[in-house]
Formats: sequence, structure tokens, C-alpha cells
Amino acid sequence: MAYLFQIDCVRYACSCGSLKSIAKIYFCRHCLSIRCGYCVCHEVDSYYCSNCLENPPASEVRLKKYKCSNCFDCPCCFETLSIRSGQVLVKSLHTTQEESKPVTKKIYYLSCTLCRWSSRDAGIPDQTVATGSWREQESPNTYRITALINFYKILGSIEKQQKERKKFQSKRIFLQFEKFGITSTMARKRVGQLPLLQSNTQSDQPQPSEASEEIEELSQDIFTKSIDITKITTLDQRLQHPELQVENINELRPQRKQFIVKRSQRCRFCEHTVSKPDYCPTSTKFKIQLAAFYHVPELRIVACEPLRLGYSSELLLKFCNPTQHQTQIILLSMDTPMMPTTTTLQGIKEEINRENVQMGCDSPNLLPSAVRQAIVVEEGRQVNIVINAEVILPSSSFILPPRDDAAEYDDPSDSQNSQDDPKLVVWRKGNKAIIRLDVIPYVDKDKMVKDEPIVVGLAMQYGYINTIATLEHKAPQKLDLKVKLFLTLGNLVHNIL
Amino acid sequence: MLRSYEGTRYISDKQVIVLDIGSAYTKYGYAGETAPRGIINTEIKCPESRELRKIYSYKDEDDLYQLLVEFLHMIFFKCVVISPKDIKIVILESPLIPSKFRNTLAKVLFRHFEVGSLMVLPIHLVTISTLGVDTLLVLDVGYQEATLIPVFEGVPILKAWQALPLASKAVHESITREMKTILSETESTEKLIENIKVRTCFVTTMERSLKLETDNPFKPPPDVKYYTTRTFEIPGSVREKAFEVLWQRDNDNLSVPTMILDSIIKCPVDTRTQLAENILLIGGTVMAKGFASRLKTELLYLLNSELYKEKLKIKTFKFHTAPSKPNYTAWLGGAIFGSVDLPSRCITKENYLELNRVPDWVNLIDNRKDEASNTI
Repeated sequence: MAYLFQIDCVRYACSCGSLKSIAKIYFCRHCLSIRCGYCVCHEVDSYYCSNCLENPPASEVRLKKYKCSNCFDCPCCFETLSIRSGQVLVKSLHTTQEESKPVTKKIYYLSCTLCRWSSRDAGIPDQTVATGSWREQESPNTYRITALINFYKILGSIEKQQKERKKFQSKRIFLQFEKFGITSTMARKRVGQLPLLQSNTQSDQPQPSEASEEIEELSQDIFTKSIDITKITTLDQRLQHPELQVENINELRPQRKQFIVKRSQRCRFCEHTVSKPDYCPTSTKFKIQLAAFYHVPELRIVACEPLRLGYSSELLLKFCNPTQHQTQIILLSMDTPMMPTTTTLQGIKEEINRENVQMGCDSPNLLPSAVRQAIVVEEGRQVNIVINAEVILPSSSFILPPRDDAAEYDDPSDSQNSQDDPKLVVWRKGNKAIIRLDVIPYVDKDKMVKDEPIVVGLAMQYGYINTIATLEHKAPQKLDLKVKLFLTLGNLVHNIL
Repeated sequence: MLRSYEGTRYISDKQVIVLDIGSAYTKYGYAGETAPRGIINTEIKCPESRELRKIYSYKDEDDLYQLLVEFLHMIFFKCVVISPKDIKIVILESPLIPSKFRNTLAKVLFRHFEVGSLMVLPIHLVTISTLGVDTLLVLDVGYQEATLIPVFEGVPILKAWQALPLASKAVHESITREMKTILSETESTEKLIENIKVRTCFVTTMERSLKLETDNPFKPPPDVKYYTTRTFEIPGSVREKAFEVLWQRDNDNLSVPTMILDSIIKCPVDTRTQLAENILLIGGTVMAKGFASRLKTELLYLLNSELYKEKLKIKTFKFHTAPSKPNYTAWLGGAIFGSVDLPSRCITKENYLELNRVPDWVNLIDNRKDEASNTI
């Protein structure tokens, strides 16, 4: 699926304008268009710990502050710490018994297998239970900040009440800069007024901070004492724990591991899910996966003759039909309209409105369109790619048979399609076909940037069977969809004449 | 699923994300918490060219838009792990930020991530909420520049603003210059220079600094052995001189301490003493050892110099200590402010999509005198 070394030689144009390889795009079956990671709505589906694979429900995750309660990260090298156990002899405290036998007790400590940091070196006492007893460092300022938050919450509610009273006067939409704002109007209002009286002296107003003249002076021994750099933390180690940002290595404390998420992706236009992973963190499967790879014919470059400026070179392309239905492929020029079309029973071509498609495909679990939020339209991305070669398009179309998994193991049968144009189709097997095209790099020398790879663009029209049963169309609807393709063919070969 | 009394507060509210996108580091976390969840570099791997790029190194608006989409995607799904759709976001920004940046940021948040509402707060102003005071002179020394805006009784005195490119970046450049003989060009990455600065350098005293350039300076502090792929020594003089660039006055006689004094001069006479006695230093650079004490000595020295003797009659300077580390104090201000439910101060999605703009203090439309002015 993904190409070796991930070189995107063949790129598909998404409906938002991004160019991506087929492995990275989705095909929304409901609005029949190509979507990519940029133009779908990402949502957090489930949380899990990457180390112990625990996946608590979303409400619990929030209480746990999005961190795993059992796993820790090394404060030195940020790898996962492992819990080690050891045994220690404990003298029995019961002195009543004559012989106080030493009892062995199991104890646990944390250790990093990568950098050899251990909780013992840091002076953290060993624990008698493996998990759950490791203490978190408390922020020294929690009390003060909570008091401040509560104070500002009260101020906020007072302001809300006042707003409520003046509800019918206020017409402005943006009140953001008032009172706490920085507009000149605000400053003007305050001019000439008495200093703000502390009228709202609630009993729970925290003591305002006291400024002091005394500041911590630079200690004199910094000029004489030599520094061992290995004992001082790096900036990354400090920022790992923003609350304390300790300076000495031995003051570092392990941090609880953060949960990571599984994302589901939703089409922005019809709000149908295009990708939804399995809830279980051990599974790598998907509940819904509308990858374009399963719906859109895949194109690969088989071979290309050396490219010379102004001369035509032969290009072999391999097409593969991933669907269960036969499809007809027509190659068109880049400037054809991209609207999907269908052929009616009478044989008349008609364009399909995107709205119509959507209407017909409303499944019952989605909200009715009246309740649905307005679609936020994002500007499309500009396709900034220079096409610097012309491709001679074939006049005829060709047909790809449906995919048949069993056929892979059959002997190559000579069921060659006699309708094929032998000039176009050079090879055929199962649901795959190789076609031959001619490519001519532009002669326009001024525009050519040296060593820029040659890119050709073409549009592919392919037949698609819409199998989603809708109220209007009981029978599967036959559609002709189009996608723009950009092929990077490599550099020019300089003529040595 | 409520387990503790504390938990009830977190559960009942919708979570609010507080973001402080600085030019070097981005602080992210949830409103109502005492510290950010993380501090990360403001940079992202460009998906097309696969190189690490700083967000502020953008070429144009489209480029910035793509960078911000990638960067915020990482913040939402790898850092704060929350679905961005319809949530409330608090953004901290300097009032001196380019309009291009804030407009593009709002566009990305509303158009791409479809956030519910956005509250944009000016850094210097919200910082007062970490102290519970009304009057404060806030000096923010970050990466790109040092900025200063005094706040008096809850109103920023905008005309007294100060900004100079004297911050981390200038310090890094000076260290790189000093280390030229020891580190090759490819070796002296910003990351390494920054670590050298944080781990070994300090702000020296004024007394020593004056002698540094003379013929008989004090004995420099000991050299430090530093280990990377190879071992090298950082000379003591480099450690001592690293921050000198912040105090050397340039051709216009400007430096970090003069910013404070110049700003106080621009303020009304009756506010000056109060401002001088309520100074707060924020930003990562002020965490350097000896920064505050050097600043104080410089300020007192300048007060008696010819330049300011006549103009200023201040005797003392007093400094506040915020309940946080200086590099995330502004974030904490946003986290306290963001926990308060103030729907009227937010830009909602509906409003943004209708008007397609973010209110800005420089914009005349937002500065109109209101006929229905709601003073308290």
C-alpha cells in the first residue's frame, strides 16, 4: 500500500486541494468525494496508556488528568520506567516474642533501563506495593492559586449579574475589551474618577501579593565554585515538570505517563465517519475505514523511458481496480469539470449535485439537516505544482474487471478482452492492466527550472457503483467519478549530442 | 464517577484550553490548574519538506496557516488530548503581536478546528490576576524581544509601552559569537547554545561587569567541562559575559533597565511611585541567575545618573513574586482568568463566521465610544 521509502510518485488531488498518495486519502461514500486528513474533522475516540494499554472511559480519564496512574516516565531520558522488585530483611517490631526473626519483605522501586536512573538514587523511598502508592509532587502554590481562582470567579459572577440587569441596553457584540480591556474608551472612562474603591471586599478575597525590595542576590561562590555539568539538569528535563523546574539532577522526580488517543475522522460535509478505530487499544483494526485504497482505482508507474526535452517518451502505467464491480476508465485532460456524472436509463448523461447525493444518503442515525450545525467552510488549498510535460491522452477507454481474490491463485487464463485497443493496453491480468502513454516534456526552456523533476497531470474518470441503499434509488446507482492525478516521472536526461 | 470533592469542579465545567504561543516555547494546559501541562518548542515538522520549522519563521499568511494547522493539530491530539471541536480556548498574546499572526491564528482555530469560542487575552494585563493586585509594571523578557506595559488599577497604560529586541535570542547570539573558536558552525545549534546558557551562564554583578572590559578584570569564574558528542570546555569569561548584551546601552542609550525607567516617565506623575513599587518580571530569560538583582542595581544606578536624575524622583523599586515560575506566569494568568465564566468576553464561532474578524485594539471599530456604555 505504502510505497518503498514513501516516495509519493503518484499523487491524487483531494477535494480540498491537497496532493497525497492513495494510502493517505479517504473516500467518503456518502458525498462521493475524496477526503484527506486535512479536510476531515478529527475527534478523540478513546484514551489509552501506551505502556500498560489501560483504557479507562472518558469521564475517568479527565479525573486522572489524562495521565496513567501506573506508568511513569523517566525524568532524565523520558523513557518509560520499569518497576523493579527486591527483597529486604525487616526486623519484627513485636518485641514481646522472644526471638524476633527477621522477615523478608518485598519492596518495589522504579528504574530506567535506558539511562539507569532509579528512584533509589533520587532518594525516593521504596514502596511495599507495586502500583498506586507512588506519590505525586504537590505544587507549593496550589492553595494560593485556588484562592485566586475562586476570587476571580466571584468577580465574574458579579459582572454577569450586572450584565443581566443591563441586558437590554447592550448592543455590542464584542465586549471583550471592556473593563479588562485595553481600548482607549476604557481608559477615558476611568479618567478623573476616584481610585477604585474596594467595595467588593468579600471575606474570601485573597491577600494581594506584597512587593518587596529584597531580592535574591547572586551568591558569591558562583565566581569561585567549579560546576559539574553532569549534576545540572538540561532544559528539556526542567520543562518536563514545569511546576518545579529543578536545577539539580537528584531532585528530578518521575512523571506519570500521558495517555495517548485513538482518533476517529468524520467528513465535514456530510458528517459521516470515514475512519473509526476499534475501541480496544490492543486492536489495530478499524470499525469503519473508508480508505480511498478500497474504492478508487490505484495507479502505479511501471516504467518510463528516459525523458528528453521535446521528444516523446513511452510511459507505462498500471491500473488496479480494488472494488467488486467492473469499472471503465477514461483518461481525460486536467481541465475537465470534476463533477460526478451518471448515465440515466435513456442514456443521457447528467451531472449529480452534491446536495442531491447527500439528501439521498441520509442514514437514520444522523441528525436531520435542520438540527445539524452549519458547515464551516474552510478555504481550499492551492495546488502549487508545476506541470512541465504533456501527456498524449488515448482516445479510447478501457475496462478493469472486478477484484477476485481467488483469481490470484488461478493459472493465468487467456481471457483477454478482445475489445481492448492493443495500442493502449499492453498487459492484463485479473483486475489489473498496464497501459502505454506518450509523454513529451515541454520545450519551453525559460520556464524550466534546472533539475526540477518532470510532472505530468491527468484526470481519471472511473465507474463507481453506489451501493448504499437509499430511499430514492433502490437499485445501486452507477456513477462516473473523476479524480486528478499528478505523476512525478523523474528528471530530464540531458542530450549529449 | 465522582471520586473526590475536587473532582466535581473539573467534571461540571467544560474544559478550557489555555495556550500561550511564544516565539520560542508554547505553554499549554487547562484553565483552573496551577501549572501548564507542558512547555514545548514552538516548531513543527513541515509535512512536505520534512524539516523542522519554527512557527514564527513563516513566509506569508498561507504558509503560516499551514504551519499553524500542523502545530495546533499536534497540540490538540498529542499534548492536551482533546477534540477541538466546540471547545473554549484562551489564547495569550502580546498586544504588540503582528495582526497577520493573530488573524491567521483565529482563522485556523475557527475555520479548521471549529472551536466553540475564543478568548484572546493580553499577556501583561492578565498577569495581574496571578498576584491579586491592580497596579503592576510587567516586564516580559522572552525569546524574541523584551516588552513592557504598565497596568494601573486594571487599565493598561498603552502609551508607555516599551519593546526592545533584548532577550534570549540576543543572548544566544552573543554566546555563539564567544564560542566560535570552540564550536564549529554545525555544532553550535540553538539547542546546544540554549543549554549552555541555562546550565552554566549567569548574570554577573554590575561591579564586576564594569571591570570586565578594563585591563584588570576580576578573576573569571571557573571553566566548565561540557559533554556532547565530544568534550569541550566553556571558558569562565563566556559564562559571565553571556547576558551582558542586555545591559549594554545601545546608540540610543536603551537597555533593559532603561525600558522600565522610560516607561515610568511616560506614565502620569501620580502613578509613578506605585508602578515602581509594583514590578513583576516574567518570561524565561528573567529566570537566569542574578537577573533580578542586577536589574535592581542597574535601576538604582541609573536613577542617580545624569539622564534620569532630574526627571524621576523615585527612591525605591519593589518586585513581586508570582506563585509560579516566571516562564509560565503569563500562562497562569490566563488559566486563572480562563476559569472564570465570562461569555461576553469571548468571540463565539457564530460571531466570527458572521463578521470574519477578531476585535483588535488598534482597530477603530473596536474603539468606538459606546452610546450604551456600560460603566459600573
